[in-house]
Amino acid sequence: MSTTHPATTPDVGWRQKHLLDVDVLSLAEIELVMRTTDAMKEVLARPISKVPALRGTNVTILFYEASTRTRVSFEVAAKNLSADVVNIAASSSSVTKGESLVDTIRTVEALGADMIVMRHGTSGAPYLAAEVFAGSILNGGDGWHAHPSQALLDLYTMRAHLGDVRGKKVVILGDVLHSRVARSNVWSLTAAGADLWICGPTTILRGFDAWAGRWTGGGAPGHAGFRVTSDVDAALRDADVVMALRLQRERMDAGLLPSLREYAARFGLTRERLAFAKPTALVMHPGPMNEGVEIAPDVAILDRSVITEQVTNGVAVRMALLYLLAGGHPEAVTNA
Amino acid sequence: MPDLRVGEAVGLLEISGAWLVDPVAGREGPGEVVVRDGILEAVTWLRGAAADGIGPNGILVVPGFLDLHVHLREPGNEDAETVASGLAAAAHGGFTTVCAMPNTTPAADEPGVLARVASAAAASGSPVELLAHGAVTVARAGERLAALGELADAGAVGFSDDGSPVKSAVLMRNALLYAGMLGLPIVEHAEDPTLTVGAEASEGLVATILGLKGWPAAAEVSAVERAIAILDSVRADAPGARLHLTHLSTAGALDAVRRAKAAGLPVTCDVTPHHLGFTDEWVAGSRRWAWEALDDAGAARDPWADGALVAHPYATSCRVNPPLRGATDAAACLAALIDGTADAVATDHAPHTAVDKETEFGLAANGISGVETAFGVLLAAVMAGKLPLARAVAALTVGPATVLGARQGRRGATRGLLEGAPADLVVVDAGAGWQVTRDALASRGKNTPLLGRDLPGRILFTVAQGRLAYSDADA
Repeated sequence: MSTTHPATTPDVGWRQKHLLDVDVLSLAEIELVMRTTDAMKEVLARPISKVPALRGTNVTILFYEASTRTRVSFEVAAKNLSADVVNIAASSSSVTKGESLVDTIRTVEALGADMIVMRHGTSGAPYLAAEVFAGSILNGGDGWHAHPSQALLDLYTMRAHLGDVRGKKVVILGDVLHSRVARSNVWSLTAAGADLWICGPTTILRGFDAWAGRWTGGGAPGHAGFRVTSDVDAALRDADVVMALRLQRERMDAGLLPSLREYAARFGLTRERLAFAKPTALVMHPGPMNEGVEIAPDVAILDRSVITEQVTNGVAVRMALLYLLAGGHPEAVTNA
Repeated sequence: MPDLRVGEAVGLLEISGAWLVDPVAGREGPGEVVVRDGILEAVTWLRGAAADGIGPNGILVVPGFLDLHVHLREPGNEDAETVASGLAAAAHGGFTTVCAMPNTTPAADEPGVLARVASAAAASGSPVELLAHGAVTVARAGERLAALGELADAGAVGFSDDGSPVKSAVLMRNALLYAGMLGLPIVEHAEDPTLTVGAEASEGLVATILGLKGWPAAAEVSAVERAIAILDSVRADAPGARLHLTHLSTAGALDAVRRAKAAGLPVTCDVTPHHLGFTDEWVAGSRRWAWEALDDAGAARDPWADGALVAHPYATSCRVNPPLRGATDAAACLAALIDGTADAVATDHAPHTAVDKETEFGLAANGISGVETAFGVLLAAVMAGKLPLARAVAALTVGPATVLGARQGRRGATRGLLEGAPADLVVVDAGAGWQVTRDALASRGKNTPLLGRDLPGRILFTVAQGRLAYSDADA
């Protein structure tokens, strides 16, 4: 084996101390996450799906918002790597006592945390945490801003079926204004060269035109691009992937939409609408679903729906992220 | 000035080889000044053209500045600022007169609160003149008119519910009528609150990418249009009615003022250094000046594409009301300053404690501690060729004095360099910079995104009413 480093892969290493969003990841780092996830999938396929990679590492899961699936996904991921896991549901304890985020992070650090997986209702909160925490912060979702592990598991799931997403038409349908999943997916999918379409009623697309405007050069079918439209049929036509987003009832109260019924009629992902997409188009949803609103129940259970696969892949991707943040190398996973 | 302490009369101060700016005389050029026993004894203009600019030693002598809009937090929030620390900060910024906003706790809605603030100013020993705006409504609650006449008798120079707009259109109409009778302006914080519920950052690319709730320009523009329409409707009944719109931040609002002025309405406005010098990019981590954030076609650059993001995003020091806007709005603020649509630069100095700022962006208090960095930001624009020096000085002196009208300079500051008057001036080393650090700021509020940055224009001396207000330790 040669001792010289191959010149064609100059910068494949993981450079991040924290993972706050996917916008800072190089393509090489995204590839590294994908490869590491492959290795974690192998681990998960074993009879005893557990490796000692993070033995002795304290992972604190600090969630300021109620969440079951993401919290459990991180917890399973950390335990599969043999980490010591502490769960803190901060919304029920410290906030009501008026404890500041900075104080909470310092306390968690003093209690021995090496990594914090953090979910917070305020955009940008993990950046504040990262300034005071000596260890690594893994953003488990902040406000409307970012949900990097979700975007990376979405990309992993798409690639598992499509090979590469370059030039593939990916449609994100629904309430992008309030969606951290959508924002992180914009970064990962545009970086990966997808033909990204964002679709929903104008009231909850506000501001995204300016973002899409950064891709004015691209956008021919089959090429990298980023477009925003309220024309759901045009968005879905020949799509390779359709990802529906959860629509929360609070949006009606804020006067953004007339009614759930009207939303379901005009923007819900139904069989009829899905017929505009390619016959093989993947159906995705980050969950939890409002069946009958943004997605019809019979669409969610189609063969090409990969919604449960997203959940499974979520554990592997989160194992990969915890492992990389702890300084691990993908080649070493199976020997760990 | 060895051994002279703040508050003491300046015995002798001779500055030669300086560049003088006198906005009253409308003159700038090389010259010398002599201050003796607190009086500006001699102003000697030497031969030289304005085009020559500031001389090789970089010393600038200008009249003391007047700030229409500061928050001194006393009474009620002395952890953030006191009258004494605020006046020290003002002097460090070159200001010899400041107008305190009434949103204290309790609000300055009765003369007793103004008296308390005035006695704190006297006790501070600072020669910086403290003027005060009274509240428009009781407790700034927007329900009933405050004691406007009594506040005027106690020396209020204007009325404002700043921090919030005057709540309803009918109250605004009555306030303009009543204050007009007293000959004082209503100083309006123009914001339609129904458009800014939960708003965090100026609506646009930055807010969208960062997932912050958008703060639309329309909230300011519509409030400005409404206030101007009401002003127009009361003029017949109250010829003395005057409207001053503070901290305007959008091209649309400034256009509305431009049209109102052209129509002869008695409206004035100010812009802040941060709205003309910083942009919403700063929330994402950029720190380049607003004029550097425009491309050759005058459109905003993309900081994600051109490597401008150098600091952490979500710095709460960038959270302010109105929010930092896009580069085209900032350029509109600068253009309005140059063409006179904006009568003044006011700092909206808004000190906050670390507790109120070291928190999540969405929960942080609004405001930038800005009275000490205002001239440096303007000088940066001057040095970039974006703003004439004389206009920058005028906007800090005669401009705000005109807004205050008859109530300005009750102690006789001329806002010019007038021989025989009490010395009221600032000596600046424009060739030297200074680093904005927590220790360098006299204000208790360290909440500025300029921390760590070098600003041009080191203020050497501030002399107010013939007395020393500030001197640089190394001067």
